[in-house]
Amino acid sequence: MSHVKGLKCRECGRSYAKAPIYVCEFCFGSLEVVYDYEAIGKTLTRETIASRSPSLWRYRELLPIDGEPTVGLYSGFTPLVAADNLARELGLKEVYVKDDANCHPTLSFKDRVVAVALSKAKEFGFDTVACASTGNLANSVAAHAAQAGLKRVVFIPADLEIGKVIGSLIYDPQVVAVEGNYDQVNRLCSEIASKYTWGFVNINLRPYYAEGSKTIAFEVAEQLGWRTPDHIVVPAASGSLSTKVWKGFSELDKLGLISRARVKVHVAQAEGCSPIVQAWKSGRDVIKPVVPKTIAKSLAIGNPADGYYAIDMLRASGGDAEAVTDDEIVDAIKLLARTEGIFAETAGGVTVAVARKLALAGKIGRNESLVICVTGNGLKTQEAVAGKIGEPIHIRPNLAAFEAALEKKTAGVG
Amino acid sequence: MPNRRVRLTFPQELITEPVIYTMAKRFDIMPNIRRAKVTETVGEVVLELVGEEQSLDKGVAYLVERGVKVEDLPGDIVE
Repeated sequence: MSHVKGLKCRECGRSYAKAPIYVCEFCFGSLEVVYDYEAIGKTLTRETIASRSPSLWRYRELLPIDGEPTVGLYSGFTPLVAADNLARELGLKEVYVKDDANCHPTLSFKDRVVAVALSKAKEFGFDTVACASTGNLANSVAAHAAQAGLKRVVFIPADLEIGKVIGSLIYDPQVVAVEGNYDQVNRLCSEIASKYTWGFVNINLRPYYAEGSKTIAFEVAEQLGWRTPDHIVVPAASGSLSTKVWKGFSELDKLGLISRARVKVHVAQAEGCSPIVQAWKSGRDVIKPVVPKTIAKSLAIGNPADGYYAIDMLRASGGDAEAVTDDEIVDAIKLLARTEGIFAETAGGVTVAVARKLALAGKIGRNESLVICVTGNGLKTQEAVAGKIGEPIHIRPNLAAFEAALEKKTAGVG
Repeated sequence: MPNRRVRLTFPQELITEPVIYTMAKRFDIMPNIRRAKVTETVGEVVLELVGEEQSLDKGVAYLVERGVKVEDLPGDIVE
């Protein structure tokens, strides 16, 4: 049974029926899914949730589908790792890593949003799904659509390295490499989405797709024994994830599943692409677009669609926004790997580095709890750390050579 | 008639100038403002531009040349 009332414009409040649309025809504001919380509150309990299988669909009343989920049945419910070693390094007592480097099937949090988007695409009757992406999203759409038996088209900028395309090509989508600058690729994809009757996950399915991000908040609260952490650090590209994490905690609060959404949601960006952080620090509501230049490619969105809403969320939750340099990102990736055995992609380096910055500045108190979101797997962005980590010791195949090398190493020579 | 949905961001020094009017008149473009926010330091206007394809290109180029940031709505599509 569906608990979705319809869609609503985030700017002017105009209501729309459920449809594959994403923008208000009147004010061009973006659309958001509206739920019947009263009805949900009557049936959804902690016990019901606990009885369901460990995937993001255990919170399906709060996801925008009408029937049973059909795509991405194993996505989500990733580990919340008690990161005690990292906590010591940060000078904090209680730190957790929400580890979406483990998300099924393509090792990033995009598997959450795509599971929801494609389940919705099937409900709308689309036989073809598409996306415009340079990485994680493309991988996830291609993989989920393959499993769901949907035709799949992935648009990429023509200059994207082949290494990044392989993670999509393996699932046999039609990959379209668009020759043009970034703005031209953006505009073309918008035009294609408006002309073809395809389910474009990050365009006409965007209101539904974005809802999948709330499940990070649901899971964190449940995994902490139905409470919120004091702080959560979330990476920001379009800004959507941070607003949905806050929405997720707020919904649990509204439904009485947690006592109070008392969590500061902090936004983390790379200095080379930090339009949201810049607006926040200068006290502006208006986001000034930037040209991205950072190793954190999955966060390189210069004109963030949800930037304004992210600023709004920061005010509501009492969070902060901070940016870190590429060097700090690499150091943080190494720190997380060295302390917790988790290899994060660059966006994970961004959140760990920002968490460290906030802790050092005293914005996260020593006795307060912190969750750091790691949204993707480091195996996908190995080039970011190549040449900046240790090297193997080369030896001849005999014990003496090994022991000589070992002695050299112990003496601090090697 | 072709149209384009854009978000214009004005730097402080351009807020008081009739930049949209000048563009509309000079390139025969019909602007239809849907949303606007102007503060002391920055202005943001969301609007639809209607006109011939070539005029739209020229009009947008004029805005950029004047120092206005022009971004297609709804923002960056490529994730």
